[in-house]
Amino acid sequence: MNARMISALIGKDLKLYFSNRLFALVTVLGLVSYTAIYFLMPATVDETLELGLYMANVPAPLEALLAESDLRFYRADSIDALQQAVLEGDVPAGYAFPDDLLVQLSRGEQVSVQLLLSPNVPLEFVEIYEVILREFAFVISGQTLDIEMNEIVLGPDMAGRQVAPRQRMLPLLAVLVLMVECLGLASLIAAEVEAGTIQALLITPLTMVGLFLGKGVFGTLFAFVQSALLITITGGLLHQPLLILTALLFGSAMVTGVAFLIASTGRDLMSVMGWGVLAVILLVLPTFNVLMPGLASNWIKLIPSHYLVDTIYRAMNLELPWMDATQNLVLLLIYAAALMALGVVMLKRKLR
Amino acid sequence: MTELAIIAEDLTYAYGQLMAVDHISFDVAEGEILGFLGPNGAGKSTTVKMLTGQLLPKAGRATLLGIDVARHPKQVQAQIGVCFEVANLYETMSGIDNLELFASLFGVRDFNAEALLKRVGLDGRGKDKVSGYSKGLKQRLMVARALVNRPQILFLDEPTEGLDPTSAQAIRSLILEEQARGATIFLTTHDMHEADMLCQRVAFIDRGKIVALDTPHTLKQQYGKRTIRAEVLGDDGHLQTREIILDRQETPAEIEALFRDAEVVTIHSEEATLESIFIQLTGRELI
Repeated sequence: MNARMISALIGKDLKLYFSNRLFALVTVLGLVSYTAIYFLMPATVDETLELGLYMANVPAPLEALLAESDLRFYRADSIDALQQAVLEGDVPAGYAFPDDLLVQLSRGEQVSVQLLLSPNVPLEFVEIYEVILREFAFVISGQTLDIEMNEIVLGPDMAGRQVAPRQRMLPLLAVLVLMVECLGLASLIAAEVEAGTIQALLITPLTMVGLFLGKGVFGTLFAFVQSALLITITGGLLHQPLLILTALLFGSAMVTGVAFLIASTGRDLMSVMGWGVLAVILLVLPTFNVLMPGLASNWIKLIPSHYLVDTIYRAMNLELPWMDATQNLVLLLIYAAALMALGVVMLKRKLR
Repeated sequence: MTELAIIAEDLTYAYGQLMAVDHISFDVAEGEILGFLGPNGAGKSTTVKMLTGQLLPKAGRATLLGIDVARHPKQVQAQIGVCFEVANLYETMSGIDNLELFASLFGVRDFNAEALLKRVGLDGRGKDKVSGYSKGLKQRLMVARALVNRPQILFLDEPTEGLDPTSAQAIRSLILEEQARGATIFLTTHDMHEADMLCQRVAFIDRGKIVALDTPHTLKQQYGKRTIRAEVLGDDGHLQTREIILDRQETPAEIEALFRDAEVVTIHSEEATLESIFIQLTGRELI
């Protein structure tokens, strides 16, 4: 086994990959479309919270509070106008105070206020709107509590620079690029086993170790180059490039191991796709945790791709330092090595 | 003294309970073409797999060029060429790419793919994708691939099966050229005529055992009968066939009587064929 053999194997796999029109098309089209999707997604997050308000006469203390607040209020002329604004989604919620609010307050009567909500407001937000209403009540009644609040942000202060949807989507796109290459490699290997060409390779001085080394290097480098290309084009390497590239390299090795496993179970393109889709769903799951934080529980950490997704997301957006990334990288490397070893063992059994 | 290129000693292999190769022993001299003949499932391919290091024998030993195959398969494989029965080429690559890949794996320096393609009659087709080749052209490329490293021993598994006469003849010529170069050739076939033409010795294998191993001439002498077959005009005006067995005391008298008593229309001598000997030895045909 020598470098010439390995480079011959890599060259052969590249030729085979791009001579398959489906793989070539999916690879190029995938990169182009993922990049397009990224740039079509919103680049910023609108952090303003707008609420509706109908109040015939706003008391001076409340007017002062509204002026100071970072919340933006849409002042409706009537209850009907407020209802319309909530219904049309202009504001997620609105407060409708009775016209004789001050009279009721002066009589000491209980005031009934309507909190109008759009259907998709989460329960947690309803509670926040209720708290805001109580704060209004304190102010209107002149019973404001004398509390000084000190805001301490633990970690990077993301106020005013929340992670944009497209940045949240980037780990998903990167994992998809890796998985497309994973399926391509698995199909390639399954086809070689089925056609008996691997048998012909192994009756030369090429050893089984050399064969897997060639496949492993090809799979890892091919997946790495494409995912790195996507991240570079989309500007993901502006922060912590070395850390992100390291994570992508380990991730590429991991999906190459997965490709070996899939190839050991599948006989043709269809069976490879069958097992492959299962792997794609599993490995893509951690990216949803980034897209919609709080969606998944701790079990998501059992999925190997979590450590890739978490590292590249935090490095790109949350200034993750190397020290904090070490644990992720070590676990990712362990997963990659374990999957690669398991894939080699399973594939070796199939070849024999 | 002639060196032995292949020595098989008590080679045995079983797939579960099925004994595929049952304690066979033989040897092949350097530069010899040995025909390994037998019907499907007789154990030919399993024997080749053990000789080429693809399978580990359950018992016995194979030595090629003085090297124990089971112990040093890669050392052996560097010096042999194998042409598989079923075409296992990279179909989406060109003929040249296929050959150059294997030349790299064998570490062949200054490899000239075009020259090799010309030798097998594929000149001008080297840059075409293999998927566009006919069965005959693919088989020629398979043989060319087996020759990439100028092997000292060439294993050919049914190299002419299902080919048109021109392609089959081209491959037979190549086999003889390789022998002239000094290569030892292990030819697996169930084409008895081909074996008779090409091989110095043939081995009959049936149900995992070698039932006969000798030169075609000796086998024919040992097991076959030479005859004269004549067509004569009968009294009713129809042709009748007469057969006279040669090499007997009464043969001359019988031939004389044939010409005296009947009008001979055609006459020719016949030798026993390897096929008839195989049937005689095993009780079954080479299918």
